[in-house]
Amino acid sequence: MLILIWVFILYGMERAKKELPRFRRLTGLDALPEMVGRAAEMNRPLHFTTGLGSLTTTVAPQLVAGLAVLAYVAELCANYGVKMIYSVYQAQVMPIATELMKDAYVKAGKPEEFIPEDQVRYLSGEQFAYASAVQGIAERERPAANIMIGPFYAESMLFAETFNRIGSIQLAGTARGYQIPFFAVICDYLLIAEEIYAAGAYLSKDPITSGTIMGQDYGKIVALLLMLLGVLATTFGSSIITDLLGM
Amino acid sequence: MSITVRKTLPIVIVFVIAVVVMSDYFLVLPPVNDAGTSWTGSAVTSLQNWGIILTAFSLGFGAVNLFFFHSKHISRRTPDQWYYSLWLLIVVVIFTVIGVFLGPNSDQYSWLYNASYFALSATVYSSLGFYMTSGVYRALRVKNTESGIFLVVGLLVLAKNAPALTVYFPVLRDIVSFITGILTTSAQRGIMIGGALGAISLGIRTMTGRETGFLGKLTEEERGGAVG
Repeated sequence: MLILIWVFILYGMERAKKELPRFRRLTGLDALPEMVGRAAEMNRPLHFTTGLGSLTTTVAPQLVAGLAVLAYVAELCANYGVKMIYSVYQAQVMPIATELMKDAYVKAGKPEEFIPEDQVRYLSGEQFAYASAVQGIAERERPAANIMIGPFYAESMLFAETFNRIGSIQLAGTARGYQIPFFAVICDYLLIAEEIYAAGAYLSKDPITSGTIMGQDYGKIVALLLMLLGVLATTFGSSIITDLLGM
Repeated sequence: MSITVRKTLPIVIVFVIAVVVMSDYFLVLPPVNDAGTSWTGSAVTSLQNWGIILTAFSLGFGAVNLFFFHSKHISRRTPDQWYYSLWLLIVVVIFTVIGVFLGPNSDQYSWLYNASYFALSATVYSSLGFYMTSGVYRALRVKNTESGIFLVVGLLVLAKNAPALTVYFPVLRDIVSFITGILTTSAQRGIMIGGALGAISLGIRTMTGRETGFLGKLTEEERGGAVG
């Protein structure tokens, strides 16, 4: 199955060279300039966090997806002159985030405006100490916008509610199923599961990268067909599909 | 910085490590040692050890960042902040001194951890109940058809969890069981499958050098030139 998805994605990349795939609009990502613009108008900072992500666990892809958005938002902030605060849970992410943000400010021609020790803040490696610290930043510095993309756990509700109370416009994205409903009811924009992984490709505007999303959708069609066949086969007493998938 | 250092080298490192780790998961590549571990298994263990070492180093980096940030607030007497910063640094120093001299498994360190962080952590976790209540209050307001359905379903689930109501209306159990077991589970699985495919796609993009978000925004030249 994995090999099949590889084939689909490579095919999608090849096809995208000839014909540009059409994308469903992701309103959450389209709203990023609006969020940064709001922070600029209100002369208040923008807060960003990637949750409890670690680069060495199964949630690493969510973290990488969050960092792709971080790089994009940092460039917007540098251009608009908005102070961006990145709250860090895992210290190992700090050097990467610092480089991404520094790079964005250099490209915007304002390297002197980037203050790493003030904008990339290591809070704690403990879940609720980190959660309390983020809430403290929200209450004291009152960011105009809050972006949360990555793996979130119990702290998702604490963040979303606190930032909502202080009037921040919020974008949240996670692939953790249990936290999606919390974000859905509180945040202004939401990226659900696969949408956060597509964020890097979506924001890059690179046709070949976009082609991988097309390949991913072919994988979804296959998954749907397999589900349908599995339901039919099981209904008629056959276990061929479950045996094939090793379930 | 040259393109080789900025783009090619990180992508080559990512590709080689990803291939080794994936090979170890799916295959047993010879040579295999007496313990039955292939060379990829040993390589992955070494990589994990390197990961632990790098994480430990980065923790030091985090601690330095913490000291820089909070000492600045203390020296400037930032309103509503400096006394929290001071208290944080005092606590960090106390934990570090006890941890280094008596060990993180000592009674003193355990007592300090359990009596401070553990209790505070449980308190913050418990406060989640209040946040959920205010979130639910906001969510259960009828603004359109979808929020109306959400309200009805939410009230049904709430009613099912109230023992007094399920005694008089046992049908609530069947209704909620259908909602959670069939409707919610099927939607959750759809999200899970989509998420898994998205993660695979991201992995392939990263390995082939198309996902460059974690390297910063590259120029067209650095990305290998725009196509189409």
